[in-house]
Amino acid sequence: MTIASILLYVDPGSGSYLVQVIIAAVLGALFYFKTAWWKIKSFFTRKKKDAHPKNDNLNA
Amino acid sequence: MPDTITHPASFRDPSGFVFQWNNTYYRQVNKIYAEDYNLLMGSGLYQHLLGKDHIISHTETEEIIAEPANWYKTLKPFQVPFITYPYEWCFDQLKDAALLTIKILKASLDHGMIIKDATPYNIQFVNNRPIFIDTLSFERYDANKPWVAYRQFCNMFLFPLYLEHYLKTDIQKTLIVYPDGIPVDITSKLLPLKSRTSIGVWLHVYLQNTVTRNAGAAKDEVKFNKRKLLNLVDHLETTIKNLKSRSSRSAWKNYYAETIISKKYLQAKEKIFRKLIDEQEVASALDLGANNGYFSGILAEKGIQVIAVDDDSRSICTLYESHNKNILPLVMDVANPSPSTGFSNAERPDFFERIKTDMIVALALIHHLVIGRNISLQVLAEWFNRISKKLIIEFVPREDEKVQQMLASRKDVFTNYIESEFESIFSRYFTIKHKQTVPDTKRTIYLMEKR
Repeated sequence: MTIASILLYVDPGSGSYLVQVIIAAVLGALFYFKTAWWKIKSFFTRKKKDAHPKNDNLNA
Repeated sequence: MPDTITHPASFRDPSGFVFQWNNTYYRQVNKIYAEDYNLLMGSGLYQHLLGKDHIISHTETEEIIAEPANWYKTLKPFQVPFITYPYEWCFDQLKDAALLTIKILKASLDHGMIIKDATPYNIQFVNNRPIFIDTLSFERYDANKPWVAYRQFCNMFLFPLYLEHYLKTDIQKTLIVYPDGIPVDITSKLLPLKSRTSIGVWLHVYLQNTVTRNAGAAKDEVKFNKRKLLNLVDHLETTIKNLKSRSSRSAWKNYYAETIISKKYLQAKEKIFRKLIDEQEVASALDLGANNGYFSGILAEKGIQVIAVDDDSRSICTLYESHNKNILPLVMDVANPSPSTGFSNAERPDFFERIKTDMIVALALIHHLVIGRNISLQVLAEWFNRISKKLIIEFVPREDEKVQQMLASRKDVFTNYIESEFESIFSRYFTIKHKQTVPDTKRTIYLMEKR
């Protein structure tokens, strides 16, 4: 078994390396924005939650 | 050198090969793979996967050495009873096989390893669940490199699943002509416009198509790490979990519920069928034209291993989802069984060479083959004789409402399609052991034995 033939076998997806780098970068960016969005969202939803007990009290 | 037969599909991977000796399959691990094999066994990965029923078990043995020059170990793996291929699976079977591959990849990464290939041919169905069979797929993980089998995973799993999800049509059968999976350029052309709203399709299909077309062989020094790989793998996993096959009702899905065939008929037929199989000592059966697997279920109850075949993928998916351990459901046209494929037409044998059972069950099937497909009784009898030792077959006569429906739209050239002719032709190839008409119908069920 020559090294060349081994490489032929284990390297079926070498052309896809670059794609994976780009996809990982895009997914990383999306994750970053998602986290940022969650932070903003939770900032407001927390405020709303804080408002809830007051409403309950008013209703009571 | 002992008298061993190397498996005709086992020549690509220099790490080792599968061979047969004394009707048992073995796997030789070559010296070149020694380090990775020891890591698989020593890192706890093998035990972990075995504990979860994700990989077939094996024992190391020295009873046989097929090729001493490269020999490191001989493994005697669990013998998979029936070998099947992705073009015979339904959507959910391919989807489960894809998700199993991802699980194995993640577990490998946890143990400092990675899988170097990602193909459904490394997966088989045992007890109606997918299981990984290629013990030599694992190698040491290099965190600087992306996943070598990413493209293969896309072509073999993701793209067929995407196409079925978006086109709502059977596409898996095309894997017969694409043994390496559906290429990205074809997938990108086949996917409908609405798929472009999916970020997954955009990344894994359109982006990949553009990049691989333009990038050439450029692969040097890409920066990658484990976090990035896990992001990619998690994304593939979530994407696949959300894919669904066609939800539309199939023509056959409600066959027993809706057709002219009454509950009474079904009960009477079941009674005859149960009596017949109670008298048989069989370990396995092939149910041709199984539909939703009603009669496969009766066989399975008796502990018989059943291969249930039907051309309707929805029925087969429903049967697969029933999780009956004794039933292996497969999508295939009985009149056009899977051929031998691959290099030298020997890598993947044809269906009937692979699937040998003690008995064949063909209930309400023959009229579809004779009248629907123009296969004469003579040709059918010869064929059944080649594939079955025992045969339970139902003759649906010309007067039957179903047959009349089929004849309504075509010229009746089937003059010899009558019970006496059926019996006389089949008697040349089989001994008729039992014959019983289903009460209140003209349908007859036979038990035959090969002459």
